[in-house]
Amino acid sequence: MSFTLLVTIGFIFGIGLGFFVQRAGLCFAHGLGEIFVGKPKRIIRMTLLIFIISALGFYFSSFISADLGLKPIGELRGFGFYNLLSGMIFGAGIILNGGCILGTLRQLGEGNLTFLIVLLSFIPGMALVVFVLNPLLNHSYNVQNIILPGLLNIDPGYIIFPSVLGAIIWYTILSLKRN
Amino acid sequence: MFKQLFNKSMIMIILFSTLNVIMYFSIKKFWIGGSSFLPMIGKLGPNNALLFAFLVNMGVIVGAFLGAVFSKEFSLKTPQMKDIPKAIIGGILIGIGITLAPGTCTTSFVIGFPMLSISSFISGAGIFIGGYIVYLTILKKNLSK
Repeated sequence: MSFTLLVTIGFIFGIGLGFFVQRAGLCFAHGLGEIFVGKPKRIIRMTLLIFIISALGFYFSSFISADLGLKPIGELRGFGFYNLLSGMIFGAGIILNGGCILGTLRQLGEGNLTFLIVLLSFIPGMALVVFVLNPLLNHSYNVQNIILPGLLNIDPGYIIFPSVLGAIIWYTILSLKRN
Repeated sequence: MFKQLFNKSMIMIILFSTLNVIMYFSIKKFWIGGSSFLPMIGKLGPNNALLFAFLVNMGVIVGAFLGAVFSKEFSLKTPQMKDIPKAIIGGILIGIGITLAPGTCTTSFVIGFPMLSISSFISGAGIFIGGYIVYLTILKKNLSK
């Protein structure tokens, strides 16, 4: 497949994803805010649904092609220290401006130009890490790419199916519980 | 009971996740968040992978625009002066967070958790802690005023 065709298909998928995100009102920054003020039901239900569908989909994809299946996302750096640190910095950023990555793109699409400033402000932050910090830190990184079944050395199904079942039960209880 | 289980937002989340899985099955790529913005500083990734992800996210903006127009929720809002410093500082922090350890962002929740990725579990914990610190130190004080 040529890159132009791949990008065209990807762009169309992006439009679909953006449409559904907007209609759902999904934003993990708002979701975290809801958790902090004691109203976590909506975002937990959304996260559980995403987990149930995606975990099953990604797991079964391994039976279609060897290229697919469960894969580590990003990199585990410094035995997780940098992941925790970058998560904290990212978490602080999204709560401060009220938009995670999807939330920023969604709110920009909805016409809120503040999120154009947010999006452009990624540039100095990314440049600081890529051009200044990374060259200094690269030697000290211990980089690993690992998923939980790999760490435990078991078939992913042993984790996927019980966790999906648990997520379905949790989702049902939360949904049927009165506010 | 069905309505209690699946309201409109939840059905949209089901469609969003299903589309993401279909994308993975069909073109062997899934939606990614933070790292997709690296092309803005000239990093296109191996085989232009990040450029592809960036263009998918441009599609997300278009899709959100269409969704907002379709539901009559679109309204052009110019930034207010008081929001600009927060937007810039927040944006810079996000920029640092998404590059210090790749995969640390919304991707953790949407892709990393279902993939059972260890880095995403740790990042998720970090996001919660960092968000809670800002909530306690800045937002909660403002809300209580």
